[in-house]
Amino acid sequence: MTGADLALALTVAAMVTLRGAGLLLGGVLRPDHPVIAWAAAVSVATLAAFVVLAIAVPGGLLATVPWPARVAGVLAGALGWRLFRGALLPALLTGLAGLMLSWWALG
Amino acid sequence: MSPFRIGLTEALGAPALAMGATFLAFGAAVAEVGLTLSWALLCTATVYGMAGQLVLLGLAAGPGGAVLPAVVAATAANARFLPMSVAIAPLLGRGWKRALALPFIAITPWAPAMRRLPGLPEPDRLAWFLGFALASWTAALAATAAGHLLAPHLPPFLRAALLFTNPLYFGLLLAADLARPGVRPAVIGGIVAAPLALWLGPAWGLLAAGLAGGTAAFLWQRRGKGSRR
Repeated sequence: MTGADLALALTVAAMVTLRGAGLLLGGVLRPDHPVIAWAAAVSVATLAAFVVLAIAVPGGLLATVPWPARVAGVLAGALGWRLFRGALLPALLTGLAGLMLSWWALG
Repeated sequence: MSPFRIGLTEALGAPALAMGATFLAFGAAVAEVGLTLSWALLCTATVYGMAGQLVLLGLAAGPGGAVLPAVVAATAANARFLPMSVAIAPLLGRGWKRALALPFIAITPWAPAMRRLPGLPEPDRLAWFLGFALASWTAALAATAAGHLLAPHLPPFLRAALLFTNPLYFGLLLAADLARPGVRPAVIGGIVAAPLALWLGPAWGLLAAGLAGGTAAFLWQRRGKGSRR
Protein backbone atom coordinates (compact mmCIF):
# COMPACT_ATOMS: atom_id res chain seq x y z
CA MET A 1 0.00 0.00 0.00
CA THR A 2 1.47 3.37 -1.03
CA GLY A 3 1.23 6.57 1.01
CA ALA A 4 -1.47 7.89 -1.35
CA ASP A 5 -3.54 4.68 -0.86
CA LEU A 6 -3.23 4.91 2.93
CA ALA A 7 -4.15 8.60 2.90
CA LEU A 8 -7.22 7.81 0.76
CA ALA A 9 -8.33 4.97 3.09
CA LEU A 10 -8.00 7.18 6.19
CA THR A 11 -9.77 10.10 4.50
CA VAL A 12 -12.66 7.81 3.50
CA ALA A 13 -13.00 6.76 7.18
CA ALA A 14 -13.01 10.43 8.20
CA MET A 15 -15.71 11.26 5.61
CA VAL A 16 -17.97 8.42 6.86
CA THR A 17 -17.46 9.72 10.42
CA LEU A 18 -18.32 13.33 9.48
CA ARG A 19 -21.43 12.38 7.48
CA GLY A 20 -22.54 9.66 9.94
CA ALA A 21 -22.10 11.93 12.98
CA GLY A 22 -24.08 14.65 11.22
CA LEU A 23 -26.97 12.28 10.41
CA LEU A 24 -27.01 10.99 14.01
CA LEU A 25 -26.82 14.48 15.50
CA GLY A 26 -29.50 15.87 13.14
CA GLY A 27 -32.53 16.58 15.27
CA VAL A 28 -30.40 16.54 18.44
CA LEU A 29 -28.12 19.54 17.81
CA ARG A 30 -29.42 22.71 16.20
CA PRO A 31 -27.71 23.60 12.90
CA ASP A 32 -26.47 26.81 14.59
CA HIS A 33 -24.86 24.98 17.55
CA PRO A 34 -21.33 26.37 18.25
CA VAL A 35 -19.58 23.08 17.33
CA ILE A 36 -21.42 22.97 14.00
CA ALA A 37 -20.76 26.68 13.32
CA TRP A 38 -17.04 26.18 14.10
CA ALA A 39 -16.76 23.17 11.74
CA ALA A 40 -18.46 25.18 8.98
CA ALA A 41 -16.10 28.15 9.49
CA VAL A 42 -12.98 25.95 9.42
CA SER A 43 -14.24 24.25 6.25
CA VAL A 44 -14.83 27.55 4.42
CA ALA A 45 -11.49 29.00 5.59
CA THR A 46 -9.57 25.88 4.46
CA LEU A 47 -11.22 26.10 1.06
CA ALA A 48 -10.48 29.84 0.76
CA ALA A 49 -6.82 29.25 1.69
CA PHE A 50 -6.64 26.40 -0.84
CA VAL A 51 -8.00 28.60 -3.64
CA VAL A 52 -5.59 31.46 -2.83
CA LEU A 53 -2.57 29.14 -2.72
CA ALA A 54 -3.58 27.19 -5.87
CA ILE A 55 -3.80 30.46 -7.82
CA ALA A 56 -0.94 32.45 -6.22
CA VAL A 57 1.69 29.73 -5.66
CA PRO A 58 0.56 26.61 -7.59
CA GLY A 59 2.63 23.47 -7.93
CA GLY A 60 3.06 21.06 -10.83
CA LEU A 61 1.95 21.89 -14.34
CA LEU A 62 -0.12 24.89 -13.21
CA ALA A 63 3.11 26.55 -12.06
CA THR A 64 4.16 26.74 -15.73
CA VAL A 65 1.32 29.22 -16.37
CA PRO A 66 2.75 32.76 -15.86
CA TRP A 67 1.18 34.58 -12.90
CA PRO A 68 -0.29 37.43 -15.02
CA ALA A 69 -2.22 34.79 -17.01
CA ARG A 70 -3.52 33.20 -13.78
CA VAL A 71 -4.65 36.62 -12.50
CA ALA A 72 -6.27 37.32 -15.89
CA GLY A 73 -8.12 33.99 -15.61
CA VAL A 74 -9.50 34.96 -12.18
CA LEU A 75 -10.52 38.44 -13.38
CA ALA A 76 -12.17 37.03 -16.52
CA GLY A 77 -14.04 34.48 -14.35
CA ALA A 78 -15.30 37.28 -12.08
CA LEU A 79 -16.34 39.30 -15.13
CA GLY A 80 -18.15 36.25 -16.58
CA TRP A 81 -19.89 35.78 -13.24
CA ARG A 82 -21.26 39.33 -13.43
CA LEU A 83 -22.08 39.20 -17.16
CA PHE A 84 -23.94 35.90 -16.90
CA ARG A 85 -25.64 36.84 -13.60
CA GLY A 86 -24.11 34.14 -11.44
CA ALA A 87 -24.40 31.23 -13.92
CA LEU A 88 -21.52 28.95 -12.98
CA LEU A 89 -20.68 27.19 -16.24
CA PRO A 90 -20.43 30.30 -18.51
CA ALA A 91 -18.40 32.09 -15.80
CA LEU A 92 -16.04 29.12 -15.58
CA LEU A 93 -15.60 29.00 -19.37
CA THR A 94 -15.00 32.78 -19.51
CA GLY A 95 -12.30 32.44 -16.84
CA LEU A 96 -10.58 29.59 -18.70
CA ALA A 97 -10.77 31.56 -21.97
CA GLY A 98 -9.21 34.57 -20.18
CA LEU A 99 -6.37 32.41 -18.88
CA MET A 100 -5.63 30.84 -22.26
CA LEU A 101 -5.87 34.08 -24.26
CA SER A 102 -3.60 36.02 -21.91
CA TRP A 103 -1.14 33.11 -21.77
CA TRP A 104 -1.06 33.06 -25.57
CA ALA A 105 -0.66 36.88 -25.65
CA LEU A 106 2.26 36.63 -23.23
CA GLY A 107 3.90 34.18 -25.60
CA MET B 1 -43.46 9.35 -12.20
CA SER B 2 -41.90 7.98 -8.97
CA PRO B 3 -40.09 10.45 -6.66
CA PHE B 4 -36.85 8.55 -7.35
CA ARG B 5 -37.15 9.15 -11.11
CA ILE B 6 -38.15 12.79 -10.62
CA GLY B 7 -35.00 13.35 -8.55
CA LEU B 8 -32.90 11.53 -11.15
CA THR B 9 -34.23 13.76 -13.96
CA GLU B 10 -33.83 17.00 -12.01
CA ALA B 11 -30.15 16.22 -11.34
CA LEU B 12 -29.18 16.43 -14.99
CA GLY B 13 -29.19 20.23 -15.51
CA ALA B 14 -26.66 23.06 -15.87
CA PRO B 15 -25.20 22.73 -12.34
CA ALA B 16 -24.39 19.08 -13.16
CA LEU B 17 -22.35 20.26 -16.16
CA ALA B 18 -20.31 22.69 -14.00
CA MET B 19 -19.84 19.98 -11.38
CA GLY B 20 -18.85 17.54 -14.16
CA ALA B 21 -16.14 19.97 -15.33
CA THR B 22 -14.53 19.93 -11.87
CA PHE B 23 -14.49 16.10 -11.77
CA LEU B 24 -13.09 16.03 -15.30
CA ALA B 25 -10.31 18.33 -14.08
CA PHE B 26 -9.79 16.13 -11.01
CA GLY B 27 -9.39 13.02 -13.17
CA ALA B 28 -6.81 14.90 -15.26
CA ALA B 29 -4.98 16.07 -12.12
CA VAL B 30 -4.78 12.48 -10.80
CA ALA B 31 -3.32 11.33 -14.13
CA GLU B 32 -0.88 14.29 -13.99
CA VAL B 33 0.70 13.09 -10.71
CA GLY B 34 0.89 9.49 -11.96
CA LEU B 35 -1.83 7.87 -9.82
CA THR B 36 -4.09 5.18 -11.29
CA LEU B 37 -7.64 5.43 -12.66
CA SER B 38 -8.88 3.17 -9.85
CA TRP B 39 -7.44 5.59 -7.24
CA ALA B 40 -9.23 8.47 -8.95
CA LEU B 41 -12.56 6.59 -9.14
CA LEU B 42 -12.35 5.33 -5.56
CA CYS B 43 -11.56 8.85 -4.36
CA THR B 44 -14.53 10.37 -6.22
CA ALA B 45 -16.87 7.55 -5.16
CA THR B 46 -16.05 7.60 -1.46
CA VAL B 47 -14.69 11.02 -0.53
CA TYR B 48 -17.15 12.71 -2.97
CA GLY B 49 -16.29 16.25 -1.98
CA MET B 50 -14.02 18.06 -4.43
CA ALA B 51 -12.31 20.40 -1.94
CA GLY B 52 -11.13 17.47 0.18
CA GLN B 53 -10.27 15.40 -2.90
CA LEU B 54 -8.00 18.16 -4.25
CA VAL B 55 -6.30 18.75 -0.91
CA LEU B 56 -5.77 15.01 -0.50
CA LEU B 57 -4.34 14.70 -4.01
CA GLY B 58 -2.10 17.76 -3.63
CA LEU B 59 -0.61 16.74 -0.29
CA ALA B 60 -0.57 12.92 -0.41
CA ALA B 61 0.62 12.51 -3.99
CA GLY B 62 3.28 15.22 -4.00
CA PRO B 63 6.97 14.45 -3.65
CA GLY B 64 7.51 12.82 -0.23
CA GLY B 65 3.70 12.74 0.24
CA ALA B 66 2.76 13.34 3.85
CA VAL B 67 -0.06 11.00 4.91
CA LEU B 68 -1.19 12.47 8.25
CA PRO B 69 -1.30 16.16 7.30
CA ALA B 70 -2.99 15.19 4.00
CA VAL B 71 -5.75 13.28 5.81
CA VAL B 72 -6.33 15.97 8.44
CA ALA B 73 -6.29 18.84 5.91
CA ALA B 74 -8.62 16.95 3.50
CA THR B 75 -10.97 16.28 6.43
CA ALA B 76 -10.86 19.95 7.42
CA ALA B 77 -11.55 20.99 3.81
CA ASN B 78 -14.66 18.76 3.80
CA ALA B 79 -15.65 19.52 7.42
CA ARG B 80 -18.75 21.18 5.99
CA PHE B 81 -20.23 17.66 5.63
CA LEU B 82 -20.94 17.75 9.38
CA PRO B 83 -23.17 20.86 9.40
CA MET B 84 -24.67 19.81 6.05
CA SER B 85 -25.67 16.37 7.42
CA VAL B 86 -27.08 17.89 10.61
CA ALA B 87 -29.23 20.27 8.55
CA ILE B 88 -30.56 17.67 6.07
CA ALA B 89 -31.10 14.75 8.51
CA PRO B 90 -34.57 15.81 9.72
CA LEU B 91 -35.74 16.08 6.07
CA LEU B 92 -34.72 12.50 5.24
CA GLY B 93 -37.17 10.85 7.66
CA ARG B 94 -36.56 8.76 10.77
CA GLY B 95 -35.09 5.27 11.17
CA TRP B 96 -32.21 3.38 9.57
CA LYS B 97 -33.19 4.14 5.97
CA ARG B 98 -31.78 7.65 6.42
CA ALA B 99 -28.32 6.00 6.43
CA LEU B 100 -28.76 5.20 2.69
CA ALA B 101 -28.17 8.90 2.02
CA LEU B 102 -24.83 8.89 3.88
CA PRO B 103 -22.38 8.47 0.96
CA PHE B 104 -24.15 11.15 -1.09
CA ILE B 105 -24.14 14.09 1.31
CA ALA B 106 -22.13 16.52 -0.82
CA ILE B 107 -22.76 20.04 -2.03
CA THR B 108 -24.25 19.11 -5.46
CA PRO B 109 -27.23 17.08 -4.17
CA TRP B 110 -27.43 18.84 -0.78
CA ALA B 111 -28.06 22.41 -1.97
CA PRO B 112 -31.05 21.59 -4.25
CA ALA B 113 -32.37 19.06 -1.71
CA MET B 114 -32.51 21.71 1.03
CA ARG B 115 -34.72 23.80 -1.28
CA ARG B 116 -36.82 20.94 -2.72
CA LEU B 117 -37.42 18.47 0.13
CA PRO B 118 -39.56 20.64 2.43
CA GLY B 119 -42.14 20.99 -0.39
CA LEU B 120 -42.39 17.21 -1.01
CA PRO B 121 -44.64 14.79 0.93
CA GLU B 122 -42.60 13.20 3.73
CA PRO B 123 -42.69 9.59 2.35
CA ASP B 124 -41.28 10.80 -1.04
CA ARG B 125 -38.31 12.79 0.29
CA LEU B 126 -35.69 10.06 0.74
CA ALA B 127 -36.51 8.50 -2.66
CA TRP B 128 -36.20 11.91 -4.39
CA PHE B 129 -32.87 12.56 -2.68
CA LEU B 130 -31.49 9.12 -3.63
CA GLY B 131 -32.57 9.58 -7.27
CA PHE B 132 -30.95 13.02 -7.49
CA ALA B 133 -27.82 11.93 -5.64
CA LEU B 134 -27.27 8.72 -7.62
CA ALA B 135 -27.51 10.62 -10.93
CA SER B 136 -24.99 13.29 -9.76
CA TRP B 137 -22.66 10.67 -8.30
CA THR B 138 -22.68 8.56 -11.49
CA ALA B 139 -22.02 11.68 -13.60
CA ALA B 140 -19.10 12.59 -11.29
CA LEU B 141 -17.59 9.11 -11.70
CA ALA B 142 -17.97 9.22 -15.50
CA ALA B 143 -16.35 12.69 -15.64
CA THR B 144 -13.46 11.55 -13.41
CA ALA B 145 -12.79 8.58 -15.69
CA ALA B 146 -13.00 10.77 -18.81
CA GLY B 147 -10.54 13.31 -17.32
CA HIS B 148 -8.06 10.58 -16.36
CA LEU B 149 -8.22 8.89 -19.75
CA LEU B 150 -8.14 12.12 -21.81
CA ALA B 151 -5.38 13.99 -19.95
CA PRO B 152 -2.37 12.16 -21.39
CA HIS B 153 -3.61 12.91 -24.92
CA LEU B 154 -3.96 16.68 -24.39
CA PRO B 155 -1.16 19.20 -25.05
CA PRO B 156 0.42 20.69 -21.86
CA PHE B 157 -1.27 24.03 -22.64
CA LEU B 158 -4.77 22.50 -22.38
CA ARG B 159 -3.82 20.26 -19.42
CA ALA B 160 -2.67 23.30 -17.42
CA ALA B 161 -5.89 25.16 -18.29
CA LEU B 162 -7.92 22.12 -17.18
CA LEU B 163 -6.05 22.09 -13.84
CA PHE B 164 -7.03 25.73 -13.37
CA THR B 165 -10.74 24.76 -13.49
CA ASN B 166 -10.97 23.66 -9.86
CA PRO B 167 -9.44 26.65 -8.04
CA LEU B 168 -11.47 28.94 -10.32
CA TYR B 169 -14.69 26.99 -9.72
CA PHE B 170 -14.26 27.08 -5.94
CA GLY B 171 -13.26 30.74 -6.03
CA LEU B 172 -16.50 31.52 -7.87
CA LEU B 173 -18.55 29.38 -5.47
CA LEU B 174 -17.05 31.15 -2.45
CA ALA B 175 -17.68 34.54 -4.06
CA ALA B 176 -21.31 33.54 -4.66
CA ASP B 177 -21.69 32.45 -1.03
CA LEU B 178 -20.22 35.65 0.48
CA ALA B 179 -23.69 36.99 1.27
CA ARG B 180 -24.66 33.90 3.32
CA PRO B 181 -24.38 34.31 7.09
CA GLY B 182 -20.99 33.31 8.45
CA VAL B 183 -19.28 32.81 5.09
CA ARG B 184 -17.62 36.22 4.57
CA PRO B 185 -15.54 36.24 7.84
CA ALA B 186 -14.41 32.63 7.22
CA VAL B 187 -13.35 33.43 3.62
CA ILE B 188 -11.40 36.49 4.82
CA GLY B 189 -9.88 34.41 7.65
CA GLY B 190 -8.73 31.73 5.20
CA ILE B 191 -7.25 34.28 2.78
CA VAL B 192 -5.40 36.17 5.53
CA ALA B 193 -4.07 32.94 7.05
CA ALA B 194 -3.08 31.38 3.68
CA PRO B 195 0.54 32.70 3.85
CA LEU B 196 1.05 30.31 6.80
CA ALA B 197 1.44 27.64 4.11
CA LEU B 198 4.49 29.48 2.75
CA TRP B 199 6.05 29.36 6.20
CA LEU B 200 4.99 25.88 7.37
CA GLY B 201 5.05 24.18 3.95
CA PRO B 202 2.01 23.04 1.96
CA ALA B 203 1.14 19.98 4.08
CA TRP B 204 0.71 21.46 7.57
CA GLY B 205 0.37 25.02 6.28
CA LEU B 206 -3.02 24.55 4.62
CA LEU B 207 -4.37 22.83 7.71
CA ALA B 208 -2.98 25.58 9.97
CA ALA B 209 -4.44 28.28 7.70
CA GLY B 210 -7.89 26.64 7.77
CA LEU B 211 -7.88 26.10 11.52
CA ALA B 212 -6.49 29.56 12.37
CA GLY B 213 -8.61 31.47 9.84
CA GLY B 214 -11.79 29.49 10.58
CA THR B 215 -11.43 29.64 14.37
CA ALA B 216 -10.68 33.38 14.27
CA ALA B 217 -13.78 33.96 12.09
CA PHE B 218 -15.91 31.81 14.42
CA LEU B 219 -14.69 33.67 17.54
CA TRP B 220 -15.12 37.05 15.84
CA GLN B 221 -18.73 36.23 14.95
CA ARG B 222 -19.52 34.95 18.45
CA ARG B 223 -18.06 38.12 19.91
CA GLY B 224 -20.24 40.14 17.53
CA LYS B 225 -23.34 38.18 18.57
CA GLY B 226 -22.44 38.54 22.27
CA SER B 227 -21.97 42.31 22.02
CA ARG B 228 -25.35 42.68 20.27
CA ARG B 229 -27.14 40.89 23.15
